Amino acid sequence: MARIIVVTSGKGGVGKTTSSAAIGLGLALKGHKVVLIDFDIGLRNLDLIMGCERRVVYDFVNVINGEATLNQALIKDKRVSSLSILPASQTRDKDALNKENVGKVLEDLGKLYDFIICDSPAGIEAGAMMALYYADEAIITTNPEVSSVRDSDRIIGMLASRSRRAELGLEPIKEHLLLTRYSPKRVAEGEMLSVEDVEDILSIPLLGVIPESQAVLKASNAGEPVILDTESDAGQAYQDVIDRLLGETIDFRFLVVEKKGIFSRMFGG
Amino acid sequence: MAAARIEFKGSSFTLSVLHLKTATIADIRADLAKKVAQAPDFFYLVPIVVSIDKLNDDIDYQGIKTLIEEFNFTFVGFTGAISKEQRQLIRECGFSFVNTAKANTVKKTVLVEESVAEKPKAVIATPQRDLYTDKIHRGQIRSGQQVYAKDQNLVVIGSVSAGAEVIADGNIHVYGSLRGRAIAGATGHHKAQIYCQKLEAELVSINGNYWLSESMEEHWASPVYIQLTDNELTSSKLI
Ligand SMILES: Nc1ncnc2c1ncn2[C@@H]1O[C@H](COP(=O)(O)OP(=O)(O)OP(=O)(O)O)[C@@H](O)[C@H]1O
Ligand SMILES: [Mg+2]
Repeated sequence: MARIIVVTSGKGGVGKTTSSAAIGLGLALKGHKVVLIDFDIGLRNLDLIMGCERRVVYDFVNVINGEATLNQALIKDKRVSSLSILPASQTRDKDALNKENVGKVLEDLGKLYDFIICDSPAGIEAGAMMALYYADEAIITTNPEVSSVRDSDRIIGMLASRSRRAELGLEPIKEHLLLTRYSPKRVAEGEMLSVEDVEDILSIPLLGVIPESQAVLKASNAGEPVILDTESDAGQAYQDVIDRLLGETIDFRFLVVEKKGIFSRMFGG
Repeated sequence: MAAARIEFKGSSFTLSVLHLKTATIADIRADLAKKVAQAPDFFYLVPIVVSIDKLNDDIDYQGIKTLIEEFNFTFVGFTGAISKEQRQLIRECGFSFVNTAKANTVKKTVLVEESVAEKPKAVIATPQRDLYTDKIHRGQIRSGQQVYAKDQNLVVIGSVSAGAEVIADGNIHVYGSLRGRAIAGATGHHKAQIYCQKLEAELVSINGNYWLSESMEEHWASPVYIQLTDNELTSSKLI
């Protein structure tokens, strides 16, 4: 049975779409069948980050309305054949989705894929609720600052009260904390919350810490999810996230300010 | 024989009493607005008795009732140690006068003491309020969530997040960090207390007396309990 994973946050602009793209592609590179769904109806970002924006013909809303079949709307990734993207509509508004039809689409996708990754819109309104409703797991994307942590806390409360699993009294949604845009230097300077601070406030298991990285912007502009940039710290941190999602235990990296480079160490700088 | 279809029976209830120290409607309104703003849902349709104990004459009874209802309380009547004439006046204006149980207790005590030398323990014992049961909440209470223990103490096994609110008619115990708002003794119980393992609250309130974070400096981030002493909140270290 497919694992339905929502990438959510409450607060906007914290790195949900960046993370959805990296994680979706990363899982597919490991040989899993993955579909990425853009729930951010009206904004349509995921296809840009994935670099398939020119291949969108039909979208999620078309499928919901019966104007296109899933097969017509799904875009196969050019890099990895086991990955597909179901793009959001740019022209409809967020009320276009309803529980029943979304449930039907997820059920159909569940027969074809191992992982269904739902990129949630920001906020706590209908769109975000729809994205989390059917989830089995949630990746709560959080920046190390107070307002983002507060919003994540809010969303965690909603996972436990507004989801299908909550309504039916099933086992609760499995929560994962993903700390993004982490800057050890700014933490050391007291400008940002530390990993420990955030864990203490949210008290859910830590899935990963993605450092603030130039590589992310570069990757977005190129339409090549940052996980493909295996040299970059952010790419490696996302790779660790994939391994942890697949059940491995891996030490956390990029948590402290970089030691001096090898040259300055050798020459006693 | 047909069974009686209605029946009158006496029962005692715990009601919230609003003690007025001024008869000026505008002042009462301003203060009420502040209190109600702390927990609007919680006060909604709560039955209220108004005590005019500390007021002189010249009371606008109708004005007070209207004001109470304006804030969505359910007005029950007036109470207070007042003269027979004033009670009569209240009735003539069309309002109930409610006797407090305490007033009865005092009378009884006197009666008993006349006949028996020994002090009657049963009468001195405080009302049922000290016998609150516990409502137990397992897990963290998250931002935006509210948990209310009506007629109970509230025990939270977990933390209360910033932006969350816990309310109890009795005591509040938080086995975790208290970062949100905690309102104990919510329907008027001055003996209520708040316990937590780490005090980082946005607001704590007992029987309507409250502290914002800035007043908690002394024991910030410590395990503490908070109580009312002479109508002032005080905090003490737990360990
Ligand atoms: N680790 C990172 N380092 C540097 N920049 C990052 C990182 N992660 C995300 N960003 C940048 O933050 C911005 C927001 O990212 P993204 O679009 O993924 O967030 P989002 O949560 O999906 O936003 P929205 O709520 O609008 O959907 C982008 O400009 C992205 O490049
Ligand atoms: Mg996004």
